[in-house]
Amino acid sequence: MIGSNRWEVLERIGTYAASELSPQEARQVEQLILEDPEALRLTESYLRIIALLGAVGQETPEMPQSVIDYAIRRAMISAFFRQAEDFFAGIGRAYGGAFVYYLGLKLPDSARQSI
Amino acid sequence: MTFEDRHLAEKAARGDVEAFARLVRDHSGLVYRLATRMLGTDDAQDASQEVWIRVWRNIGKFRGDSAFSTWLYKITMNTCLSTRRRDQAREAREFSDELPYMPPVSNVEDDPESAALAGERREELFRALELVRAEHRAALVLRHMEGLSYAEVAQILDVPDGTAKGWVSRGRAALLVALSEESRKDSPR
Repeated sequence: MIGSNRWEVLERIGTYAASELSPQEARQVEQLILEDPEALRLTESYLRIIALLGAVGQETPEMPQSVIDYAIRRAMISAFFRQAEDFFAGIGRAYGGAFVYYLGLKLPDSARQSI
Repeated sequence: MTFEDRHLAEKAARGDVEAFARLVRDHSGLVYRLATRMLGTDDAQDASQEVWIRVWRNIGKFRGDSAFSTWLYKITMNTCLSTRRRDQAREAREFSDELPYMPPVSNVEDDPESAALAGERREELFRALELVRAEHRAALVLRHMEGLSYAEVAQILDVPDGTAKGWVSRGRAALLVALSEESRKDSPR
């Protein structure tokens, strides 16, 4: 019975096993299951897989502490460099401004407004 | 929890490492669990580290439009998918002439939890999942292992709902084919 469109039928039976078909589509698949023992075997196989996936899904593997520590350490180092960068950029800007002022290259505010 | 996560994310975006550390501790289980399911135990640690580095770098882009966990699911999935794509291009599973069939586990077939705990079947499942195309596996893991709705799966994988449904459906079928091949390999001839 499951000859042509084998992959399509396979997927449809899987969707049926997952209870994701509309009532009308579900009735069509149920009809196929009644008529074809292969379709019944496929449905049973799908039900086992879905149950297995769900049961394995209940397991909660613990993240190793080393991974947590590594992530936090990386963030700390990155934050430190960010702050250091901001600090030195600030100093650089201040010194640059002072140097420009020292050379007399900075125009007074009143002159700047008139330009 | 969501409000607290958002608050912590805002603080982390301003460079507060303590807030970031709280997020890591609170959500490390989700990241590691997903990475294990997508990549297996061996690669899950490296992928989890990579995820948290990406989170730290991009936390300023988290706008709070969705839950923090959804955003984290997205980053984790993208990291796992790029790892898998880098590793190898998987062959598409073909439906051979022989019908796929997954035999029940003796004695525990009516108890799915016991069946899952039967180590052999669990190992078979993970080996078979390895053979499923990365995107289909991702959709399958999110839908049937994480128990998310299609709308959530679609949001995390950044595809329309219909595509998410198609990927889950193809993933299920490919997994059945792969599992029946695994069972055939293991069973005495």
